[in-house]
Amino acid sequence: MPEFEPDIVAFVCNWCSYGGADSAGGQKMAYPANVRMVRVMCSGRVDPEHVAAAFREGADGVMVMGCHPGNCHYRNGNHKTLRRFRLFETLLGQLGIEPARFRLEWVAAGEGKKFQDVTTEMTETVRALGPLRIRGCVPKEVAYVQA
Amino acid sequence: MAKGSAVFLCRCGGNVSDHLDLEALEVWVRQQEGVESVGIHDYLCAPTGKEFVSQTLREGAAAQAVVAACSPRLHQKTFEDCVSEAGINGGRVCMANVREHCAWVTPDPQQALEKAKQLVKAALRRVPLNVDLVRPRMEVRTDVVVIGGGIAGIEAALQAAEAGRQVTLVEKEISLGGEMIKVEELAPLGECSPCLLAPRLSEVREHPSITVVSGATVTDILGFSGNFTVVARRKARYVTDACIGCEGCFEPCPVSVTSPFHLGMGERKAIFTLFPGSEPLAAAIDDQACLHLSGQECNACVENCPFEAIDFTQQDEILEIPCGAVVLAIGAEVHVPSDIARLGWDGRRNVLTHAEMERLAASNGPTGKVLRTRDGREPATVAILHCAGSLCEGGLDYCSGVCCVNALGVAETVHHLLPQAKVWNIHDRLVLPGAASENLRTKVQSQGATLVRCAHLDQVRIEDLPDGRLVVRLPDGLDDLEVDLVVLATGLKPGAATRAFATRLNLDLDVDGFFKSDHAVLNQTGSVVEGIHVAGSCVRPAHAPESIVMAQAAVGRILSRLVPGRTVELEALVSRIDPTRCSGCRLCVSSCPYKAIGWNAQDRVSVVNEALCRGCGTCASTCPSGAIESVQFTDAQILEEVKGVLHA
Repeated sequence: MPEFEPDIVAFVCNWCSYGGADSAGGQKMAYPANVRMVRVMCSGRVDPEHVAAAFREGADGVMVMGCHPGNCHYRNGNHKTLRRFRLFETLLGQLGIEPARFRLEWVAAGEGKKFQDVTTEMTETVRALGPLRIRGCVPKEVAYVQA
Repeated sequence: MAKGSAVFLCRCGGNVSDHLDLEALEVWVRQQEGVESVGIHDYLCAPTGKEFVSQTLREGAAAQAVVAACSPRLHQKTFEDCVSEAGINGGRVCMANVREHCAWVTPDPQQALEKAKQLVKAALRRVPLNVDLVRPRMEVRTDVVVIGGGIAGIEAALQAAEAGRQVTLVEKEISLGGEMIKVEELAPLGECSPCLLAPRLSEVREHPSITVVSGATVTDILGFSGNFTVVARRKARYVTDACIGCEGCFEPCPVSVTSPFHLGMGERKAIFTLFPGSEPLAAAIDDQACLHLSGQECNACVENCPFEAIDFTQQDEILEIPCGAVVLAIGAEVHVPSDIARLGWDGRRNVLTHAEMERLAASNGPTGKVLRTRDGREPATVAILHCAGSLCEGGLDYCSGVCCVNALGVAETVHHLLPQAKVWNIHDRLVLPGAASENLRTKVQSQGATLVRCAHLDQVRIEDLPDGRLVVRLPDGLDDLEVDLVVLATGLKPGAATRAFATRLNLDLDVDGFFKSDHAVLNQTGSVVEGIHVAGSCVRPAHAPESIVMAQAAVGRILSRLVPGRTVELEALVSRIDPTRCSGCRLCVSSCPYKAIGWNAQDRVSVVNEALCRGCGTCASTCPSGAIESVQFTDAQILEEVKGVLHA
């Protein structure tokens, strides 16, 4: 049975979630290599256009991760992230993208385990959904590996 | 043709190379576009590794560097300094985290190699777009304005002045002292409060670098760290500095009014000081009570002043005080549980708050340190109720953390003033931080106080007896107590001005309404706004020792940040607005957590104040016109990274 390996881009804030990924690393907590991080200073820097661009460039799933509400390094950038992406999620369906391909998570710098859990779950979710196909976009070459 | 990148791969002593085939990665990197050179080293962060990097860059032709190693959170600065050694700006280095995000978390070697390629590719695509990072430096003012003349404010002013800073101490009352001056004995140590405070007040009075502005409320604070202007309104005192506080005018003044300083339990004249030896020494005239200022014929004070210090022509003044840093030490307020009927406090019954009790026990109080019930009797029996108005319906929903110690202090005070009086402390969970508090508990018990544990304090009721005495009705089958006096160990709530300051200055409040520290562990006396510091009970209910330590901490940070003759380094990662693309919608203004974006009304564009910007980039993703660039995290740089991790 061939298994689909999704490409997942995770936008992570420098202070909490990138640190959460570092914690997972420090504790050698393996998670799927499908998830690749793009570091920004604050999750509030992530523009829905960045997420859309990631899908356009071939990502099968996109995550945005920031500090827990109340713990933002920049006071309340993550509140803006939350508002912005709750709205964005409603648009995804209209674009023909399953909302489950996008996931917003709060991961603290100490939460290596949570980072491992959410990235693993996300990979399984997107793997089950299969490759992203958006009308009008050239489908990318999908690499199937023998499971 | 743009110059290429030098790529450095780190084995990290096997931490990376045991899990990731770096030789294969090196071969792959050599084939990538824009790569000038590739090198592998055992430990890039070690002195030999750093030398390897700078030497390679010095001898090569690369314009920027990619370091595939550990987390930038660990060593970004290391490699920024390292490339600077080679004459390349630190902004031109980009790290690919192949250790924490790859080698350590990807057990399959083939997958690890593929992921490492993606991470390096992202860095390779982004780094040509990196810019030189220049940390601008700004000249700063080093003077300090302290707001609030309680013990925290006094301490802050003295510490800053000792370091040679010009200090303006702004107090809303007519003289300094705050809550501490109203108390005689400081629990838990029983230290004499006026004995500690009087010399401090003298020091403030005599210090050449401290200006006290009393009877003044701060109406605004403009500017930013290193360059604030504090705007205050000083109420007319109608008494000049010639007054030495001799009190010769008090007796002749025909008007008596209730004294707020005595919490309504005593009177003062229309011309008054709060207590002898206050700072300033000068009396003040209450314009609401004074006959002369109400248009009547009275010059009693003028006629009896040997110093010709009365000046009825004084007007309120608006003061603008420039400074580099502000200490907010505006204190807290006693929560009087007047709307909780079962506690019986109505200002008439023989139920006192802890604060009222302290006034009666104070030598500068309304009775001159004579403890009497409100109806004038010497109490033989006193019940002290802990958690009064806290942690119950209609009360404060947090533990103030100071009232249990205060309640035990009341027991000791009663013992000192009326050794024959019988005392009960009715408590549930005792919050007694530190050995001194615990020692006070054993001490008051040895003095004869009875501690009654009551698990349902929220069901305690205070009821009247026909003779003016009271009965404390206790739940859970505990015996009721008939007493002459009940003292409520009340909690502290945020002062009335706290929220107004927070709104005006963009400070955060915590869940209980006190100023939120910049960080609860790392920086308790900083606020979220650089240059605005907080100390004392406006941060959380605090006794004098803690308030003093907070004031010292706040001033310590000011002294280490604002040094005369030295400029301050500003954040390099800031946002910049392209005025030609700004549509003037001002969404960015409201999105900025630091109020760093202002409005240029003349050109109708938003403008970033780089002294306030901390570089989060939230405005850049808010701007619908794409007019805002988040330095080093531009849309283009982020997009190149996205392409890199997807198309290695």
